[in-house]
This record gives sequence, C-alpha cells and structure tokens, in this order.
Amino acid sequence: MDILNSMLGGFEAAFTLTNLAYICVGIVLGIIFGVLPGLGSVTALAMLIPITFYFTPLAAIAFLVGINKGGTSGGAIPAILINAPGTPEAAATALDGYPLAKQGRPEKAMKTALYSSVFGDTFSDIVLILLAAPFAAIALTFGPNELTTIILFSFTMIAALAGRSLVKGLIAAALGLFLSTWGLDPVDSTERMTFGTIYLFDGIPLLPFAIGTLALSSVLSQLYDMRRDRGKPPPPPLPPASQFRAENRIAPREFWGNWKTLIRSACIGTGVGILPGLGVTLAAFLGYGAARRASPRGDRFGTGELEGIQATEAANSAVVGSNLIPTIALGIPGNVAAALLIGAFMIHGVVPGPLMMVNHAELIYSIFASMLMANLAHLIIGRVGIRIWVQFVRIPKHIVLPTVVLLCVVGVYIPTNSMFDVGMLFLFAGVGYLMRKAGFSIVCLVIGFLLGENFEIYLRQTVLINKADLTVLLTNPISLAFLLLTLFFVWHFGIRVPLRQKRERAAARETDAASD
Amino acid sequence: MLKRIALAAAAATAFAGIAGSAGAYPDKPITLIVPYKAGGTTHTMSMVLSKALGEELGGKVVVKTRPGAGSAVGVTFLSKAKPDGHTIAYTDLGNLIWNPMTKDDVAYTVDDVRIIAGVSEYQLALIATPDKPYKTLDELLEYSKTNPLNVADMGGMSKTFINYIAAKEGVKWTAIPTRGGGEMVPFLLGGKIDFAYSGGIHQKHGDKMIVLASFLKDGLAKSPEAPTTQERYGIAMPGNSILIAPAGISDEIAAKLEAAVKAAMDDPDFTQVLENIQFPKRFIPSSDVTAFAADVTKSLEEVLASMQ
Repeated sequence: MDILNSMLGGFEAAFTLTNLAYICVGIVLGIIFGVLPGLGSVTALAMLIPITFYFTPLAAIAFLVGINKGGTSGGAIPAILINAPGTPEAAATALDGYPLAKQGRPEKAMKTALYSSVFGDTFSDIVLILLAAPFAAIALTFGPNELTTIILFSFTMIAALAGRSLVKGLIAAALGLFLSTWGLDPVDSTERMTFGTIYLFDGIPLLPFAIGTLALSSVLSQLYDMRRDRGKPPPPPLPPASQFRAENRIAPREFWGNWKTLIRSACIGTGVGILPGLGVTLAAFLGYGAARRASPRGDRFGTGELEGIQATEAANSAVVGSNLIPTIALGIPGNVAAALLIGAFMIHGVVPGPLMMVNHAELIYSIFASMLMANLAHLIIGRVGIRIWVQFVRIPKHIVLPTVVLLCVVGVYIPTNSMFDVGMLFLFAGVGYLMRKAGFSIVCLVIGFLLGENFEIYLRQTVLINKADLTVLLTNPISLAFLLLTLFFVWHFGIRVPLRQKRERAAARETDAASD
Repeated sequence: MLKRIALAAAAATAFAGIAGSAGAYPDKPITLIVPYKAGGTTHTMSMVLSKALGEELGGKVVVKTRPGAGSAVGVTFLSKAKPDGHTIAYTDLGNLIWNPMTKDDVAYTVDDVRIIAGVSEYQLALIATPDKPYKTLDELLEYSKTNPLNVADMGGMSKTFINYIAAKEGVKWTAIPTRGGGEMVPFLLGGKIDFAYSGGIHQKHGDKMIVLASFLKDGLAKSPEAPTTQERYGIAMPGNSILIAPAGISDEIAAKLEAAVKAAMDDPDFTQVLENIQFPKRFIPSSDVTAFAADVTKSLEEVLASMQ
C-alpha cells in the first residue's frame, strides 16, 4: 500500500505538461540518435546531460530516461531497413527484421520491434518500482565489507562482456582500472599520476572520458572508414514498403501469440539489468538465443520471424528500467547509461545510493511515474512517427558525424568551463580509436574505470576498519555469498564457456574437413 | 566621409570605455566562479546569492562552476583574472587557506586573493549515534582509552584535525576516508564506524545523531552546548563561506561589492535557501576578515606542524 500511495504522489508531481513535454522531446531525440548510424542512447545521454543542468531535477531525469528508452528502441529501425543496426544491442533485431523488410513488410517489423520494446520496458519499470525500496533498505545495512565484495563480483561481468578474446577484455579493464587511480589518493591525499597539475587532482573527469572513448572515438573510426571506402558502391537503397497495407498490419493475436517469448525476454533483460556492469547488448543476444532454443519455430529464426524481433527487443529494452535498481539501492551503476545518469543526479544535488530513497523519496517516485508515462508516450510517438524515423536513415554520414563531433566538444565544455577537459576528450577519443582498431573492448575499459574508484575506496575502508584483517570477508555471510558468486562467474565465463566454444569450433572444423 | 564617421565612432567608443571604467560599475555582466561541482551546497547558495547580488549592484551576475582539486582550480583561475570586479568567486575559507599550505602544485597563495566578506558558516562537527556508550566528548575520550575506535573523515583537513586530537589525547583512532555525507551517514547509522566528522549533514537527521564537539571556533548554531576544539585544544576549523576577488581589485569596487553582499544577505530567497540547508548566516565585514583569516591560518599551521 505504501508503494501505491507513493506512486500516486509521484504521478501527482510528474503529470504536468512541462514534464510530459520533456519526456516526449527526450524520446524523440533518443529515437533519432538510435536511428543515426554509430550513435545510440549512451552517446545521446553523454552529450545531452550537460543541457539538463538548466532543468529541474525531475524534468532532467525524465528527459534523460526518455532518451534512454527511445535510443534503445530506435536502433532497431536501421537494423530492419538496411541491415545496419544503429546500436550494437539491435544487432540481433536485424537477423529477422531485415528479411521481413526485404519481403516488403518493413513497417510490420518496425511495429513489432516498437511494441516489444515498450512491453519489455514497462515490465522492467514495474520490477524496478517494486524492488527499489526493499533493495535500498537492505543496502542501507551494507558497509565497506559487503560493498567490496559486490564490486569484486561486478568485475567478473567483464569476462562476459569481453567478447571473443578474454585476454583483450581483461587488458582493457585493467587499463580502465589503472586510469581510475589517477588523482589524489583517497586516504592520504598524496598525488598519483597528476603530472604536477591541479587539474588532475580529482582524477580523470568522467564526462570527457566517457564521451571520448564511447562517442567521439566511434565517430572518428567511422570517419576513417568513410575515407577508406571512397569509391565503393553506396549502401543498398531502402526496401520499398508493400503496396498492400494489410501486409504491414499486425494483428493483436499475431503479436500476443508469442507472449511466452515476450515474458521470457523481459525477464532475461530485467535480470541482466539488475546485475551491475552488464550491458544491453548481452541481454539482446541472451533473449534471442533463449527464444530460438525454446520456440517450436526456432529453426526458422533468421528468415523473418516476428518472434525473433520480439525476443530481442523485449530483452534489450527491459534492461533500461532495472539497471536503475543497483543505481538507486547501492549507488553502483547497472551499466554505462546508468553511470551517466548517476552523473546527472549528482549535477542536481541528489547523491545516488541507499539514502536516496529516504532523502529524495518524492523525487524518486516522481521519476518512477515519469518512466511509466514515458512508456506510453514512447508507444504513441514511436508509432505515429514511424515514417519520419525512416527519413533519418537517409541522412548521409558526412553530415551526421561532424555535427556529433561539435556536440561532443560543447557537451564536455559546458559543465566545467574547462578547456583542459576538452583536451582530455580528444586524448581519450584517440585512445578509444586505437583500442577499437586493435580489437580491445571499449565497454570493458569504461567498466574498469567506473568500478575502479569504488573498488579502491571500499577495499581500503575495509582494510582500515578491520585493522588489515580481511578474514571478515569470509565470515560475513553477504561478503561470502558474493565471493562465491564471483568464483562461479569466473569459472563459468572464464573457463567453461570458452572451453565449450573451443570444442564447438573444433567440431565444426572436423565436419568441414570431412565434407571436403 | 565614411572613414571619418568610423573614426568618430571609434573615438566615441573609446571614450565611453574610459568613462565606463572610471564611473559605472558594473558595466558588463559579472562572473561569479563557484570552485565546486554543480549541485553541491556552495553552488546551491551561489545560485540565489548571485541573483540578489545582481539586483543590489544593478547588473547581471552569472554563476560559472569551475570545480576541481578541492576548490584550487577555481580559485587559481580567479587569482589570475582581471581585477576589475567583473570576476569574483564564492568559496570557503578553509580550503582557500589549506590548499596552498599543503599542496606544492597549487599555483596561488592567499595573498593573490582579496576576501570581500564572510557570508555564512558550515556546521563542522564531530558526531555519533545515540546507541553508543559515549554521549559527550569526554565520554568518547574515556571510552577510546580501552577501545580502538574507527572514525569517518572526509579527507584533507578533517583527517589531520582528527589525528591531531587523537595524538594530543593519546588515544588510538583509525580515520576511515569517506566521500562526503552521502557515504558517511549510512556507515554511521549502520554501525560500521564508531563516530564521524560531519560538514553539517547531521542536522538533517535530528535525534538519530548526537553532536560530540564543534570544530568551529564559536560553536555550532543548533548545538551551542557542544564543547569546541578551540577551548579544548586551541585549534579550530574555518567553516565560513566567503566572497573573494583578485588581489588587485580597487578599494572602491571592493567596498561596493561588500555593501552589495551585506544587503543581498537579507534577500528572502537567500534566507530561505540557507534555512533549507541549515547553514546560519555569518556576515564578516572586510574590516574584520583579515584578522579572522590570520587567526585561522595560525590554527591550521599549528595542526600541520605538529603532525609532521
């Protein structure tokens, strides 16, 4: 009943015309960023957070949540239309979406993607609303002992995110960890890697680091590819929509017929979102894979099955709500987008963490209400604008990319009025560019950087509080549980899965050889 | 003909420029630098203070955040600005003095800035929770003799002061670094640490927290009964928020700014914000502020010297 009352209060505060306007603008911008090649919700968030500085806290967070929701579903549109996912999390959407578009039913695929996104989003938001308060209450009893092991556990996610090469993923994460130690030592205030400049006393600033490695380096990389590909044939034209409207209609029975897949994917996405450090992309592929195994039509996935689109989009959108659970309960970001949201909260004087539910309960419930309102707005805007979004796929890259470079620079300069930060932006864009070209995971780098600061301070607090006696981590039940989970994940993602993949590859080679 | 008009126009502008600098201040928007992150208490106060200041001065005051290095980045920037009164800063006295004293790389000295006036006061205190076996500083010290305790600090000055007291009393305290009140409060309420340094956040938690001692020289507004470190150990922490300008500023403009600050402090919005964050007003006129700063500097020097 408490939650119901709080939510009613939240709606009262959130249901204003201005707030709705911010949500809608956020969703539109998010979809556009998702549609544009190489950009996505993370880029959009990183670039637009500085602007929200002038909004009220509620409007700011509602706006950013709108961007995050729109961006996650917008990526599906170019994936369906030209087989070029706007965001990595929409890669699996292309598998079934593009064949559908080639069959002359692009709008049907886009509608399915949108409805599944909104379903996954709403499911995840409800889980967030129900779990945030109890999780925060538990987290309030956590101290350095528990937090150290939780962060340690989060590091194991790097193994799952590393992609093909675990070694390269670990190197990237270690670099991020190293960069997080720059600045004044948190215990003794001695200078570490500050190169004698006070600008590095607080360490490497998050915004230039995140925008540089995630957004600007990707843009530079695409600019390079454009130069390299000069003279090559242009990308395939958009497939023509069918002349028969009925072809592009989707019957409720057709959509809800796969309700099991929708719910399965929503649960997978929500689960992935709750664990700190995991990405949206992972959820999308897990959801797709699980649906392919479970569905009776699984063998037809990849030929234009609606269920494949539903499985992917419900899963990747379900991450958006639940990744705020660790953010709100622990102050530890669920993923990069949530980390940027933490930055936005801080700009507005709200410190994420277990106390947020106590000190800013009204704001939090207004944000929850805004999230639910955003889902409805997302459904309407996404559906009404379906033909408009298509136009954004046509904007040539040589117009989009330079604009983004400019916006990145402005976004970094505004909050601190510091040209030093702009310099850092370009430095990290260079680092990110080299890492991309050499096949190192940027996400691992950023996760290592984000978790590094927290890990160091919690570990050093633990050492000091327990007078250097770390056996407490084995006797404290919560710490022990997370340590065991850590071992399990290291074994699973670091040893078991790679071994299985190796065997599968070897088997594939053998069958190839046999058929030769 | 055109050339002559252009010349005349240029001369007129030049003259207007001279007239402007001699007479009207301000003749363009004033930049108020806040050397802390947007959203913090200093920034919150500055947003309303800037509006009231602008009304008093008959101009516009624009707040610019220039965070970094515990205010050293913003203050360094200010110390190098043109001393014409169009660049001023709102910061805290403690870090203003502490940073150049402790960090070799900080490029300014206290002589590079001029303090216009003191504005308000942070409520720096040593706090605990009521469930502990100690309710006063004396009981804490007594208890510490037989029990090694953990105390949360917030880095820099607070840690040095805590260690100074422990050394004077011959007790063993372990200072645990925390990143501000948002981290310290759950640790203290959850019993992970035994007592803590607070920058004023304890006032929001009512009777869930008790004040053991005041780090402010003249005591705390809400807990006047708490003993001060000044009367016990002869040292105090500066908790004042202050308005500063580059050292070369003219006496005339400095006086104008001081009068504007004094008047702006009666602004109802500013009063309301200070009430919300529970920091009392503490106007210190320029005539007293130099002696006040010198006093504080002596205190900080003594603590630093004894800890080295």
